[in-house]
Amino acid sequence: MDNRQLSHDILNILERLRIMHDLIKDKNYEHIPKDELLTDLNENLDLLRKKFDILSQ
Amino acid sequence: MDKIICLGKNYSDHIAEMKEAAPEMPLLFLKPSSVFREIKNQETIPLPWERGLIHYECEVVFKLYKKNIIGLGLGLDLTLRDLQKQLKEKGHPWEISKVFKNSAICTPIQGVRDFLNWQDTPFVLKINSEVRQESKLSKAILKPNDIIHYVDKFFPICDGDLIFTGTPSGVGPLHPNDLIELQFGPIESTFRLGNENG
Repeated sequence: MDNRQLSHDILNILERLRIMHDLIKDKNYEHIPKDELLTDLNENLDLLRKKFDILSQ
Repeated sequence: MDKIICLGKNYSDHIAEMKEAAPEMPLLFLKPSSVFREIKNQETIPLPWERGLIHYECEVVFKLYKKNIIGLGLGLDLTLRDLQKQLKEKGHPWEISKVFKNSAICTPIQGVRDFLNWQDTPFVLKINSEVRQESKLSKAILKPNDIIHYVDKFFPICDGDLIFTGTPSGVGPLHPNDLIELQFGPIESTFRLGNENG
């Protein structure tokens, strides 16, 4: 995977994390239940770490 | 944000003022994230006036996550109107009249929960203190969930994507130095229009 695609993926994950931050901060679980959001959060944090690991190699 | 998805002809009164035939369904087009501008209150936003007449279209904006509307804003979808007319007459695609720097301006996105009955909350565009557009999303042809289902048929929807949901009647030209005010429930943003080179 080239660095440009990796950067694009990382920025998309950061965008998702920003949205999750807003939803959790506002305790807005109307559309996405809290448990599902927290699962998403962990998955995206793992994915972010993996992408950064590859980017730094 | 991956992209901005825009609806055209989603309000009957706007279709009437443009003297165009109503399509079976609203039109869809895209703007890239690179033309997006989130308003910082009281700032000046430059536009390419030398390219011809620039029209405003005030629209409710959805922010999506997992195909749910998790935030709302009020935006201006800008169009190089003369250029668009020429392109339409020639039967050419009209992206270049819709895609230019700062052609998708939007207030900061506010959580849906900050609104009381947001579909019936009036949204207002004022230019130089004069009301130019005022409507409610409930007057649109497609309702919010239908908009998402409709868009989903044609485009992959990514988390963070924005949907500009179409404009009501009252569209018109902008001019350098215009003072723009956008109001929608708890949202209030003010900015001025400037020249591209400052």
